[in-house]
Amino acid sequence: MTASNPCFLSIAEAAALIEAKKLSPVELTRAYLDRIERLNGTLHAYVRVLHDESLAAARVAEAEILAGKWRGPLHGIPIGLKDIYDTADIPTEGGSRSCLGRTPTADAETVRLLKEAGALVLGKLTTWEFAIGGTAFDTPFPPARNPWNTEHDPAGSSSGSGAAVAAGLCAMAMGSDTGGSIRWPAAWCGLAGLKPTYGRVSRAGIMPLSFSLDHAGPLCWTVEDAALVLQVLSRYDPSDPASTDRPVPDFRAALGGGDLRGVRLGIARTIFERDCVASDEMLAAFNSSVAMLRDLGAAVCDIELPPLALYNATAFLIARGEGFAIHAKALRERPQDYGALARDRLTIGAYVRASDMVQAMRRRLMLVEATNAAMRDVDAILLPTTPDPAPRLGELAPYFGSQRPTYMRPFNLTGQPALSLCNGFDKADLPLSLQIVSRAFDEATVLRIGHAYEKATPWRERRPIL
Amino acid sequence: MDDTVNTRFSAETALLGLKLLPGQEAALLEAYSALCEMVALVGSDYPMAAEPAHIFVPTDVGGRNR
Repeated sequence: MTASNPCFLSIAEAAALIEAKKLSPVELTRAYLDRIERLNGTLHAYVRVLHDESLAAARVAEAEILAGKWRGPLHGIPIGLKDIYDTADIPTEGGSRSCLGRTPTADAETVRLLKEAGALVLGKLTTWEFAIGGTAFDTPFPPARNPWNTEHDPAGSSSGSGAAVAAGLCAMAMGSDTGGSIRWPAAWCGLAGLKPTYGRVSRAGIMPLSFSLDHAGPLCWTVEDAALVLQVLSRYDPSDPASTDRPVPDFRAALGGGDLRGVRLGIARTIFERDCVASDEMLAAFNSSVAMLRDLGAAVCDIELPPLALYNATAFLIARGEGFAIHAKALRERPQDYGALARDRLTIGAYVRASDMVQAMRRRLMLVEATNAAMRDVDAILLPTTPDPAPRLGELAPYFGSQRPTYMRPFNLTGQPALSLCNGFDKADLPLSLQIVSRAFDEATVLRIGHAYEKATPWRERRPIL
Repeated sequence: MDDTVNTRFSAETALLGLKLLPGQEAALLEAYSALCEMVALVGSDYPMAAEPAHIFVPTDVGGRNR
């Protein structure tokens, strides 16, 4: 059971070799651990590496597979977890001084499902403090760096997740997305990042930031891998009040063979050509992507969504109100235990009045209805994920409202599934990104379109040089 | 930033009983200014019957949301 370059295999590729007993989970895990040992000092993707634990789990997986008990595509696959995912008997600290040593007694439901499917947890990954704190230098762990250029920001808040998958330090990483925190690092690190529909994947056992906007999902090298992971994660969980008991399709089967005839795509042009104009390189990549999708058979038209600023303001008020409610006690009693960015970004929620919050929730429903109406004649929305590629580390503006907005928050507000994937590179070899959004609980369409695009383009042939 | 925003920020900070750390006031004031703009943008002039987006759903006997 051997492989020559195992850290750069997709999950689908590794799973085929593992099932055929041509790749050893133990050797695969050792390869990742060696690579983490070599690169984590530069990338700061992991805050905790579970060396002995992951190898022990890999030996068990290998024994099961050799005995003919292969559980499925995640069996024996090494993964990473953003350090807001609870792990039994292993510290989960949320990137915060205020949680150092916090050790849960149970796994998050998503972690339980991944382990049940045979995935091996290599370690806990760097996160912005409480998934909100930004790229900070006054927290217990250094910020993760972008593998495509370590002077650049990997984005966040799932910063370590993005850096680790792009650098080949794990086959998949779990992230969370309240305002784009799966899709943003996926965009800047050149990955497939999937925010499933609100309610599709349990958030139980994940540190909350905003109850009505938080989503859990995977960052992967390929769209196909995202489909494989979503299959495992899609299960009703009564311990998450937002969890819904919906039919779960066969996401891998729904990927199809690349033919997009019959698929109708709506370009949300006003968002990135009027409300916040994307950079020239991002626009050029987007237009090339649309041409490719047309070539694959999709019908394309323009649609008009409500103004980006309205979505963003509505989401901001709700997120900050909910965030402060979660952290109010600790912020009042131990503000010095927070880094400055997390402290300020959470404290501003104290100023959101109850009536502001209710108005935002009324506006939210109107925006959901307006978005659904705009999608009446299309199956999915296309737009870039961000207006620009990754800036240098530390150049992100500290406060929302003082930086160019991204294009992701609208779909946290509506709860629709949204996928970010790589659609090229800029002159500095930094990844560019495309976002695909479909109707609630129609992840299959997002994955089908993304997979077809990915198979028809060469962007998965390139990895960061480290 | 106009005086009205400054004054409101100071008054609300006192009303909320927030004890800000050194250096925090300037940062929060910038964020507060942006917050005020967002509150204005979201607006309040809705039809009386306009419902908020709820996350609460009544449950069946003995169960949680489904």
